[in-house]
Amino acid sequence: MDKEKLENALIDYIDGLLSETEQAMVEHELATNPEARKIHEQLEVVLGTMEAYREFEPDKNARSEFQEFLDAEMTNVRRIRPAQRLVYRIAAAVALVITGAGIGYWISWQQEQKSQLMALKSEIRQTRQLVMDKLENDQSAGQRILGVQAAYAIESADQEIIDALIRVMNADPNANVRLSAIDALKHFHQEPGVRKALIRALSEETDPVVQIALIRLMIEMKEKEAIEPMRQITTDVNTLPAVRDEAYAGIFRLS
Amino acid sequence: MTDESIMEAVKNGDLQQASVLFDRYQKPIFNFLARMTLDRNVAEDLTQNVFFRLIRYRTSFREGNLFRSWVYQVARNVFVDHCHKEKQMRKPDYVDVEKVRDYILDRDDEEQSEREKVLYLSLQRLSIEQRELLTLTRFQGMPYHEVAELLGTSVANIKVKVHRAIRQLRDHYFELEKI
Repeated sequence: MDKEKLENALIDYIDGLLSETEQAMVEHELATNPEARKIHEQLEVVLGTMEAYREFEPDKNARSEFQEFLDAEMTNVRRIRPAQRLVYRIAAAVALVITGAGIGYWISWQQEQKSQLMALKSEIRQTRQLVMDKLENDQSAGQRILGVQAAYAIESADQEIIDALIRVMNADPNANVRLSAIDALKHFHQEPGVRKALIRALSEETDPVVQIALIRLMIEMKEKEAIEPMRQITTDVNTLPAVRDEAYAGIFRLS
Repeated sequence: MTDESIMEAVKNGDLQQASVLFDRYQKPIFNFLARMTLDRNVAEDLTQNVFFRLIRYRTSFREGNLFRSWVYQVARNVFVDHCHKEKQMRKPDYVDVEKVRDYILDRDDEEQSEREKVLYLSLQRLSIEQRELLTLTRFQGMPYHEVAELLGTSVANIKVKVHRAIRQLRDHYFELEKI
């Protein structure tokens, strides 16, 4: 038996893991081979010392420190929940208004198109123009949201529309418009530049609701490059605890 | 109540239940980290981090998973983060005598104390992976199949690696004993 095999067999012998036949073979080896006896003795010392190694007792204060942390977390959860509920209600109301307005807009728009009997090509061109016009409407956030909604419906957006959506996501003064732009860009994430723009937006965005939407989108897209901006969010003293928690969860899921 | 059902309750917002898991797992996790870091003070801090993460990332616990495997995975992550932070991924070239004294408390049996000291120094000479394997299987008493699941490998592979680690530990132990 070579040395490695012998050592393995002796470890299993000490651990009591051998069959009767294997055990008899090892015992024969021990009776006839002085080298085997020496290894056996040494293994017994090492494994025996490990066996006798005491368990350490942790610090007794750790229990109360953990309870303090737990109490703080429970207070935090109680404080965040009503705020979250409010955010969800507002989001649901905004979504309802947007959807209603969108549906109304689309119905009237389609009727108009039918009545004019325009060719398909010119229809697309007009739609595109409409999206661009609405996205660039500085006067009304509602019109810009409608523009985003319209872009969302275009199956293969061209670079100009994508660039406009990215511009809206980065620079629109209204958080709801930026949120809608993120939602629309999600559908074009395979297009070159969109993923990078979303990651960049995560580094620059400061509105908590938009930050949370971006973090959740990064998790959904399994975008590992978003880990670094998420880390920055966790270390930023101005970040709200709810956003920081989302960022921690994001780092954990993407790591 | 099982660990898993308690963790599900924590996940669903009953945070106070986490204290039950703390009472059940603080000692084993602390011992795991003490043997990985070979430093009691650092292990104390890291153990707290494990339980902080347990709360913070509670939603990542998946139904059907074993809590023990999950919490050890969190502990491993905490340890790896610590190593990155301290840039200790490579074994240090020297042994801090004070650290040994802190790790190995005095005991009445002088011969056993001496053996533990040599064992401590021998463990320090192993790679982190080998130390982890011996800690889990020998000190924590985790069966091979559970370690294999935790580390994402086969039982046969774990057994081969554990045996190799024991052989190296024996070599280091008796080299050091001669000194």
